[in-house]
Amino acid sequence: MPVHKAGSRLYHSVPFKHLVKHSGSSHGGRSSNISLNLVPFVDMMTMLVCFLLMVFSASGQLLQAQKGLDLPIAESRETLQQAPVIIVTKSEITYQGQLVATVESALRDDSPTFKIDALFERLDAAAKKIKEDVGMGKLPKDLAKACDDAKNNQRPQPGKICPDGLAILQADESTDARLINKIVNTAKAAGFDNLLFAVKNK
Amino acid sequence: MGAAVGTDEKGSVNVELNIIPFIDLMSCLTAFLLVTAVWVNIAQINIQPKGKTRDTSNVQKDDETVTLSVLVQADRIWVGLSRVNEFQEIPKKGDEQDWEKFETTLKDHKASAFFNDRADLEIAAESTTQQSVKYKDLIHAMDVAVKVGFIDVGLSDPAGLAARPSL
Repeated sequence: MPVHKAGSRLYHSVPFKHLVKHSGSSHGGRSSNISLNLVPFVDMMTMLVCFLLMVFSASGQLLQAQKGLDLPIAESRETLQQAPVIIVTKSEITYQGQLVATVESALRDDSPTFKIDALFERLDAAAKKIKEDVGMGKLPKDLAKACDDAKNNQRPQPGKICPDGLAILQADESTDARLINKIVNTAKAAGFDNLLFAVKNK
Repeated sequence: MGAAVGTDEKGSVNVELNIIPFIDLMSCLTAFLLVTAVWVNIAQINIQPKGKTRDTSNVQKDDETVTLSVLVQADRIWVGLSRVNEFQEIPKKGDEQDWEKFETTLKDHKASAFFNDRADLEIAAESTTQQSVKYKDLIHAMDVAVKVGFIDVGLSDPAGLAARPSL
């Protein structure tokens, strides 16, 4: 292989003849300017931005991904809203990220009240705090209106449900329905009359 | 965005737009959107726990209205009407519940005089250690009910159903 003297030699070692020919910048003999055609790049970027803006969703921030948690699939398209989250994985039950009980112990418990006591305590405290906030008017206007509508027995808009008595249940698809019944009973006893079951869209 | 007019020759009308700031902006926006993109769409099914539970102090009195009750069992689904005491059994088809027949049954009830102008329905799952009902089947049943038009889904304990076919 021949050894060349150091220096600029773009068109000597790699003669971009096809580019130079169409670039329109080859006028003037030894000019080495090449104008890249950026139009396809800009087109691609524009389409990518449009696509990403269309699929942009903030609902994922409401829920936490956990090990052993596969949400069931449903056709429902109603958007999720902010509320306290009860998570049931294959092995444990957590409330707002804190362990409450294990699935096994909750299923083994045959108490006549049909409630999970540890979960009830936390939900009860949370329900009282939310009720207090609602009573003091510490809500955004749209949610305050939803609370007024709920008092008049009017159906709420999707994603605009009064936070008083609202909780999200995020359970693994293989969870035993007995456990779901227990959690729903516990939530109801604590004052959470409105449950949102988190699902994955088809 | 800068524009240079007639830069090539004298009297030229070519306009060269400086698209570099545009590309910069697009690149930043694309990077931001890619990082914050949520690829799994989460939705919700809104249910209300019914007042009838195993807790006998909490049992509501039956009223005069006819209630459509759905009981999901491990090997079949029951659809029943309270007060009329009419039940339909939908056995499992293979490994899965017969969701098509379940949907057709609910559609028939929705079209009937009882539920033409109503959207309420109660669902319960009867699960035992030997024959457990999975949460995904319960969700599927609710999803079908919502799809048919019963958007006021109430989740109940099997013992609390207004129409109890096998209890």
